[in-house]
Amino acid sequence: MATVQKVNFEPVTDILPVQRRDFPLADPTLAQPLNSLALVDGEWMTLTSTYKLARAADIATLGTAGAGGRASLKSFPLWAERGRYDVQAIAGTKMPVLFRGDYEFDTRIFDATAVAGSGLAITTVMQWLKVATIALGGRNYVGLVGHGGSADTDPVIGYVSRLPSANGGKLRFLSGGRL
Amino acid sequence: MSVPARVLNELFTQKLASAEGKEKMAEYGGSYIRDRLREVAFSRKVLPPEQVTRADCQRSVNHDTLVKIIDIEPKSRALAITFRGQPTARFIRGSRAEVAFYTISSEIFQKTEQELLAYEMPITKIIEENSVKDIQEIEDREFTIHVEASVQALQQEANGGVVTALNKTTVQAGSVVEFSIRKGELARNAATNDGTVRPIQRPDLVNLFKMLDGNRLRSERLLMTEVDWDDILQWTLEDQGDRVQSETTVDGYKYNTLLGRSYIRTIKTDILRPGNVYIFTKPEFFGKFYVLNNTKFYIDKIANMITFQAWEDIAMAVLNIAAVRKLELYSGDATSLDADGVLSGVIPVAEDALGAVNNRVDQGLKFPQISQF
Repeated sequence: MATVQKVNFEPVTDILPVQRRDFPLADPTLAQPLNSLALVDGEWMTLTSTYKLARAADIATLGTAGAGGRASLKSFPLWAERGRYDVQAIAGTKMPVLFRGDYEFDTRIFDATAVAGSGLAITTVMQWLKVATIALGGRNYVGLVGHGGSADTDPVIGYVSRLPSANGGKLRFLSGGRL
Repeated sequence: MSVPARVLNELFTQKLASAEGKEKMAEYGGSYIRDRLREVAFSRKVLPPEQVTRADCQRSVNHDTLVKIIDIEPKSRALAITFRGQPTARFIRGSRAEVAFYTISSEIFQKTEQELLAYEMPITKIIEENSVKDIQEIEDREFTIHVEASVQALQQEANGGVVTALNKTTVQAGSVVEFSIRKGELARNAATNDGTVRPIQRPDLVNLFKMLDGNRLRSERLLMTEVDWDDILQWTLEDQGDRVQSETTVDGYKYNTLLGRSYIRTIKTDILRPGNVYIFTKPEFFGKFYVLNNTKFYIDKIANMITFQAWEDIAMAVLNIAAVRKLELYSGDATSLDADGVLSGVIPVAEDALGAVNNRVDQGLKFPQISQF
């Protein structure tokens, strides 16, 4: 199981071609680092009808426990560490996500053993990945879990490029997939 | 000698073909931008910005962003004592607060070299000016939101920690304390709770000043929209006396102060919405505005695509929320309760709604309507 640290989401490929966009948070209190559900880098977000960011899955429901705990829409990874000053300073509390473009990142916000819905544990390189609520270190995050392949109807957000066992405990993945 | 705009556009394109030219254009853009920005943003008139360097800022051990930590004046008092008595002790402690830095950027403007030739106006220069205005508008929007949050927080505290609707009904019923926000005379006596902006009256301003002056602070600077200012021109002989009345009738109000306070007027009515008037103390009692990096201008040309962007790194904070008070000239509720459904009309518009165009040329609305063939 991954351990959440100060930095949990790091680029492996050039970040310049990736469109990074700031959106206001639907719930600005999640930018407060002392909030028990504070957002961390590498969590997955989606857009609300008011063009704001919200977690891509219900944070209170584990992906292994119910459909609400799995992302059903396109989601975007958050690229801002917990408690950043610039995030807190902007009125409306904006946070940056990787919005468009292809990238490869290392993430600590994943659960390789979780089987969410029709998913599978993360075991092989190039396995599809999806987004679900996971428990790490005593609290929930919205992170990556294994996708179940053609039998799984949840959106695919990327592919495993390096397994955690061969990457210092971090999951390396490539963006891309299907809705 | 004036240079035709078309020639300027062509020179611009040619300059971008060399590294030296790019640098020169960026320098030119950079210096131009800084000058305009100082003059225009109303937030900079209320809180004059101070230039800081990296050495003035503090880092975090958790991430790579910066704050500047500001000391807040410590409490102290004196007391009368007898010859044999001694004063109470105070273990000195001063509060501190963080002011965090962030970036305000223009959009990334792009145009192909060939399409640039289709313009007879100096579009590159206009874009530079627009990027300044865009940055300035966001500064003012951030400032207005912080100021509004400050008066609402103080108002909530004065009402027992509960957000309490402030409209003509609650004012007339005496069920709300007007501590940091006050309704104007015409608004508090209106027939309905609505978002209609009533003309500002002289007692409105005096009562607004009293909210600050009665709290060991001094009201110094008024901020209002040009629309509300225009209502001051309607003040009568009884308000102004015959000399100012006759002057105002001919030249408008020309003095630098109004009722002894300096004032700032803004035409940005999509940020500071009409009907909202703020009074501030001097900046040293109120807050901080820091500039870490003045406006930088990036310009590049890859193949035939020209790209520009401008940005600055600033920090802005209201540190003493008691140093600002607000006058509302509409009768409806502007708290987060939005009891009367007027809130969206009295707070700054969304960031992506700023800069709406006034003309309707793209919709074909111009008169007479000419079709070329």
